[in-house]
Amino acid sequence: MRPYLYVSLALIFAILLSLAIGSVFIPPRDLLAVLAAWLSGEALTGRLATYGFIIASIRLPRTVLVALTGAALGTSGGAYQGLFRNPLADPYLIGVASGAALGAVIAMSVRWPYTFWGLMAVPLAAFIAGLLTVFLVYTAARVGKTVPTTNLILAGVAFGSFATALTSFLMLRSTGEVRRALGWLMGGASQTGWLPVLGILPYLLLGLGVLLLSGHTLNLLQFGDEQAGQMGLPVGRAKNVILAAASMATAAAVAFSGVIGFIGLIVPHVMRMWWGGDYRRLLPLSLIGGAVALLLADVLARVLLAPQELPVGIVTALAGAPFFLWVLRRAKNQGYW
Amino acid sequence: MLNIQHLSVSYGTRRALHDVSLTVESGEALALIGPNGSGKSTLVRAVSGVIPVQGGEVHVDGLDVLAAPSMQRARVMAVVPQAASLPPAFTVMETVLLGRTPYLNFLGHASDADEEIARRALQRVDALELQERPVGELSGGEQQRVLLARALAQSTPILLLDEPTSHLDLHHQVGLLELVRALVREERLAVLITLHDLNLAARYADRVALLVEGRVTAQGTPEQVLEAGLISQAYQLPVSVVPNPMDGSPLVLPRSPLPPGQTGR
Amino acid sequence: MKRKLILAALALSLALAACAPVAGTPPTATPTPGPLDLIDGLGRPLTLTKPAQQVISLAPSNTEILYAIGAGGQVIGRDEFSDYPEAAKSLPSVGGSMGQYSLEQIVALGPDLVLASEINTPEQVKAMEDLGLTVYYLGNPTTLEEMYANLAIVGQLTGRDAEAKTLAQSLQVRVAEVDKKLALVGDRPTVFYEIDASDPNKPFTAGPGTFIDLLISRAGGVNVAASTQSSYPQLGLEQLVVSNPGILLLGDSAYGVTAESVAARPGWEVLAAVQDGNIFPFDDNLMSRPGPRLVDGLEALAKLLHPEAFQ
Repeated sequence: MRPYLYVSLALIFAILLSLAIGSVFIPPRDLLAVLAAWLSGEALTGRLATYGFIIASIRLPRTVLVALTGAALGTSGGAYQGLFRNPLADPYLIGVASGAALGAVIAMSVRWPYTFWGLMAVPLAAFIAGLLTVFLVYTAARVGKTVPTTNLILAGVAFGSFATALTSFLMLRSTGEVRRALGWLMGGASQTGWLPVLGILPYLLLGLGVLLLSGHTLNLLQFGDEQAGQMGLPVGRAKNVILAAASMATAAAVAFSGVIGFIGLIVPHVMRMWWGGDYRRLLPLSLIGGAVALLLADVLARVLLAPQELPVGIVTALAGAPFFLWVLRRAKNQGYW
Repeated sequence: MLNIQHLSVSYGTRRALHDVSLTVESGEALALIGPNGSGKSTLVRAVSGVIPVQGGEVHVDGLDVLAAPSMQRARVMAVVPQAASLPPAFTVMETVLLGRTPYLNFLGHASDADEEIARRALQRVDALELQERPVGELSGGEQQRVLLARALAQSTPILLLDEPTSHLDLHHQVGLLELVRALVREERLAVLITLHDLNLAARYADRVALLVEGRVTAQGTPEQVLEAGLISQAYQLPVSVVPNPMDGSPLVLPRSPLPPGQTGR
Repeated sequence: MKRKLILAALALSLALAACAPVAGTPPTATPTPGPLDLIDGLGRPLTLTKPAQQVISLAPSNTEILYAIGAGGQVIGRDEFSDYPEAAKSLPSVGGSMGQYSLEQIVALGPDLVLASEINTPEQVKAMEDLGLTVYYLGNPTTLEEMYANLAIVGQLTGRDAEAKTLAQSLQVRVAEVDKKLALVGDRPTVFYEIDASDPNKPFTAGPGTFIDLLISRAGGVNVAASTQSSYPQLGLEQLVVSNPGILLLGDSAYGVTAESVAARPGWEVLAAVQDGNIFPFDDNLMSRPGPRLVDGLEALAKLLHPEAFQ
């Protein structure tokens, strides 16, 4: 119970922080005044009304989106690490992000009409392209009825590199869209409001729901496909299910938030270091931990160079690496993997 | 009882097993011997359903295990693999509990009864005191015992052991095989065990099968199979077989020097 | 017990969040009648009940236009890159580098109009629209005439119609003056306009569809990149040597590139422009911001290419 308590408290803290802090500084006293007015049903006026509006209409939906995205990346990262039995695995290993980026950049080179579907074109293209890439990688890696892990990784790297090269080429050709594409690639919510939340919610509920129930399966897979099969796991089917669920959750997260690195890699590692490698516990902890990590990174992104907002992907990369090294040094020197 | 009929397995174009038929009765230990690459491990993997077979069937007490869902198969057949790479951070108890998978729901929640079964299995292999230790810290012999406990926890009438003694020292080799023999007698298990060491096979198995290049070239009692001509032919090495002074079982002794031109194969 | 504590804390934060008004309009001054119906560059219909008095500009060109038509006093915020005129620099910034703007800052300033440009993405426009802001997306002009039209639009938006018209007319007069002086000139020097030469073997230049290309022709020159396929092509050094422009213009002079540094580049010494010393720094802002200073750029360019016509 203790780990769940700690990460849940951290999550609450991160949510409150994300609501209280942004590129506009709201003094704590005004913050409390806004809260008091909401609780008592009073109407806000003047400066306080503006603050209240900022918190409710800008920060709240963003907080929810960021938390969901972080949760998706953390859980998927943990699942991929378990599936591939590889500590370097992250949700982008088999090409979801590269494919999604290509889809997004292709969509950005078209001038869509300013309609609902026109505005959804980029995230939709990213989502579909991401899943399509995983499908292609899977098909390329399949040998008869099985999908050897090594093949998946190799095919993922191959397709990923190809997609990245194509993306770079496209960016070079349409220099007008380079800034927009770069911003997307570096990660960060390009859409605001509740629409992205509604957009990703069904895929996250489905994908993450399946993953949370796959802890035991992943434990079995740590012993290798053969031993897992001999203990009764229908290995092929189980791996496909986990692969599909994790890819779907990742594609949805990337579609609206761009490519945010490090969360999917580091959060499961940290959780594993602190509370062990039992996937039945690791995945839920990585879900909450991912949300916390990305929320904190997003707060930093808003604050470090205010009023300028950094892309979140830069913050996660810059902050993630040293943090991980620090945790690594402090961890007990025993094989936790 | 384990009934293997006309099993054929290929790796790509290479045929690894040709029309292999074997039977192991309850309360009996069958040792599978043969030179390297003869297909012993392939047989274990094919019978346990983890590699595809190109022909033949495997039945356990009437159940066609290759056609059955893996969960059902795992309730009648458990495998003790060679001390393969085990994830080092799992504790002994966690590892053994995974053996209860065929009886757990998909969330993997183990009841008190399951934990009791796991504990008894550990006790049987004399490893109960190791239960909280991470598997990565154990010696080869201890790991092998833990794998045996896991297979026992799976509570199956059939047990397959693949080269369980390869990495063990003499003490642990004998210890493990004595344990297997006791289990066969007491629990009436049907055990198929692949072994490198012919003399251990002779002492601890009720019946022996000789596998050469994917074919069963001899089946029968240790005396019948561990016969000088058959062994010499199979291993491409002249041997003498003498009765073991302690219990009369066949004792295989390689003859030296090797005939000229035979030092490598 | 601990589980109850977690649940209580979670419930509390959810309750707090739920109490917040989910969507709403930012507080602004109550409008007075006098509606203005417009359709912006994205095809969005807009209605302004009165001329905008609290404008936030999200592009340097928009800022320049606003100040040029005398609406500088109606601007309350700008993007990071707006640096002309000088007065604009003292306005609060709402972000803009790396394509990210602070919506919070924009909302906090309480604008009654946000003037966006093609630098801004449709998603950003939508985001501001969803927050209840009035956004006008000013599309990029491709000709000088379209630029004058943009001046008129901004004039309409800010109640400076008359000033905008006057400005447009004066700009047209200046352009006509340049045309007249150049009518008598016979030769048309070939020009290479350098945008970036981080890789001196493949410098970036401006191709067809850009104002740079348009103004070079208008100023009596020939852009060596006029027949390329894309707007900002990378020209190989060999290509440059073959086309051998008579004049090199350094649009990247703001980044420290000088005539000396260009002459020192290996392989560039064969160019006629280098040998004759016809390498000139050029203020790129005059060519790349689609506002009234384009005419300044035209004049400067014409004087550079045909000094004899402007004695």
